[in-house]
Amino acid sequence: MEFSSSKHGDKLVVTVAGRMDAITAQEFDTQCRQWLAAGDTNVIADLSGLEYISSAGLRSILSAAKQLKGAQGSLAFCNLSGMVEEVFVVSGFAAMFTMHPTLEDALAG
Amino acid sequence: MKRHGIAFRLAALILSCAFVILAAIVAYNYAYSRAIILRQSETNSRHLAQETASRIDSVLLSVQKVANNIAYSLEDASLSREDILNLNKRVIANNPEIFGMAIAFEPYTQEPERLYFAPYHFRSGGRIAFTMLGSPDYRYFYMDWYQLPKELEQAVWTEPYNDQGGGGVVMATYAVPFFRNQDGKKVFAGVVTADISLEWLQDMLDDIRIFDTGFAFLLSRHGTFIAHPNRKLIMNHTIFSLAEEMETPEFRQVGRDMIEGKNAFVRIDESIFGNERYLFHTGLEYGGWSLGVLFPRSEMLAEVHKLSNVMALIGLTGFALLALVIIYIARRITRPLTELSQSALEIASGNLDLMLPEVRTNDEVGDLAGSFKVMTNSLKEYIANLTTATAAKERIESELRIAREIQMGILPKLFPAFPDRTEFEVFASIEPAKEVGGDLYDFFFVDDTHFCFLVGDVSGKGVPAAFFMAVTKTLLKVVAEKGLDPGQILTKVNADLASENESCMFVTLFLAIIDIETGETRYANAGHNPPIHLPCGGEPCWIPPFGEPVAGVMDGMEYSTRTMTMAPGDILFIYTDGVTEAMNPEQDLYSDERLMRTVAEMPERFAPALVKTVNDSVAAFARGAEPSDDITMLAMQFCGKCDK
Repeated sequence: MEFSSSKHGDKLVVTVAGRMDAITAQEFDTQCRQWLAAGDTNVIADLSGLEYISSAGLRSILSAAKQLKGAQGSLAFCNLSGMVEEVFVVSGFAAMFTMHPTLEDALAG
Repeated sequence: MKRHGIAFRLAALILSCAFVILAAIVAYNYAYSRAIILRQSETNSRHLAQETASRIDSVLLSVQKVANNIAYSLEDASLSREDILNLNKRVIANNPEIFGMAIAFEPYTQEPERLYFAPYHFRSGGRIAFTMLGSPDYRYFYMDWYQLPKELEQAVWTEPYNDQGGGGVVMATYAVPFFRNQDGKKVFAGVVTADISLEWLQDMLDDIRIFDTGFAFLLSRHGTFIAHPNRKLIMNHTIFSLAEEMETPEFRQVGRDMIEGKNAFVRIDESIFGNERYLFHTGLEYGGWSLGVLFPRSEMLAEVHKLSNVMALIGLTGFALLALVIIYIARRITRPLTELSQSALEIASGNLDLMLPEVRTNDEVGDLAGSFKVMTNSLKEYIANLTTATAAKERIESELRIAREIQMGILPKLFPAFPDRTEFEVFASIEPAKEVGGDLYDFFFVDDTHFCFLVGDVSGKGVPAAFFMAVTKTLLKVVAEKGLDPGQILTKVNADLASENESCMFVTLFLAIIDIETGETRYANAGHNPPIHLPCGGEPCWIPPFGEPVAGVMDGMEYSTRTMTMAPGDILFIYTDGVTEAMNPEQDLYSDERLMRTVAEMPERFAPALVKTVNDSVAAFARGAEPSDDITMLAMQFCGKCDK
């Protein structure tokens, strides 16, 4: 799994690519702790490059969201497609989190 | 290929180099000394021949002197018969080289009344014999030895001849004319002869050894053999007749050169005598004779061969010594290596306490032995650590296995689960992943006519997931038996799970309650994969999700209930994402589409068969890839009044 991030105003855009499964999911958690340490609490995750997400991946997203919420921050998602979008819908994550079709929408929202 | 050790290769390399060097030295030495020895041998044989020639010449010269002196003294006419006989005899006695001497007078010269007067003293059986030559059968005036000096008026050497007159041997004669004063004129008065026995000459030549089988021979001025070890040739052959007989024309040239008194060193081809020979010939000063010395080349080279044999022996001895020394050194170097190698093998077989062979040399081999010692100690330490670690890991693994068994044990496993119920058929299977996972399924009657069945998937793996799963299953059963709607059940269970869930674990759930008399089915879905509804005789379809979130995360979530009716023969197939996300070695997903296709192509629509078919299809797709998640399926078939 690969991460890259860029600042847009007070929002941090994180691009996640690759596979988020039981082995790599922990990284998302670790990254989240780094954002918090850097003071970034409003995070938009661009999942356009994410090929696969397992239940362990969902759990680390939940964990990250909880941490950000604890710091009065927010976690939103954009650019979901294919299998990942399906998983988000099926698991109800699409209902739990703020979802945006594109990064522009996310930045505007 | 045969394996050769370092000692062998080292020895072979050095020895072959040494061999080449030694061989080159011996060969050079041989060639060089051969040239020297050849030159020396040629000089030697030349000297020998010349010396022999001088010896013969000196004999001939002394014979000549004696004969000349006698001839001179005979010019005194006052000598009496007695004086002449005495003179004659004394000469023989005092000159061993002279075989016989005749003093032959012209007829009626010494004694007027005698036709023949020729006293002849000669050697016979160790004594000096005497005879008077001349008889009607032997008229000496006509013999060569008399005629030639008389006519030429000077001394001559006759051709050798077989004497019939007195001596009866083969001889060569030196004949000197003598003259007397008669009326103031010099008048031919007779001939003095001195004979040399060819036998005696041959004996003298026999004493000359030239190498082993070399020999000398003498030719007369006409080429006749005067002396030769093969006595049959003497007087019977000339060198020319021999050349004719042996069909060797080159000998003619040699013969001509010899007769001319030339001095030469000639090589004679091996085709003539069977081996290569050298001939040295030289003319003699007297008698017109020539001396030849013939000897085999091989004997001339015998010294060279002896030398090269000695050199080869020295070379081989040196080589053998060198070989011994090198083999000794190479063995000394490789012995500790061999011992180390054997020890290493034994260490490799597990005997780490083996004492390594003591290597005290302060070189690379010593370093190697040191490294071995360090390696053995490190290995021992490592193995000790590994043993401890392995024991700990095994303990944890066995505890996990037990946890797994307990977890699996709480799921209903006995099928058919309700053999006395004809209204429905329920079948479930769980294919546990290697790691402890969190899948669950359950089915039970909530009352006489309502049958509850569910499938859930706890996020994550390991002991926490297993605990969460056990808690969920227990809660579900307790809550469901209160007779609530599926939506209400999930709402309640979610609230209970979420209240104390710090670790963000969650569970997806699909729960349905069927009225086994009517087929009316109420169900709720908490973020679970959409199940498949397989109508009896119709096309299968997904039961669409409501988008309601997973359970255990958010307190206060409300889940809704939906209703569908199952016709007799319909199957409801619920599964976890272990099915659709099963992977093959190329990491492709099994996928929803493949699942739907497999279900649609089922020939026999029967709950246990469906589960088995999907299981086989997933296994075939994975091609042995280790499943990363539990594969859980539950098929609920409503029968109603339809036959099972």
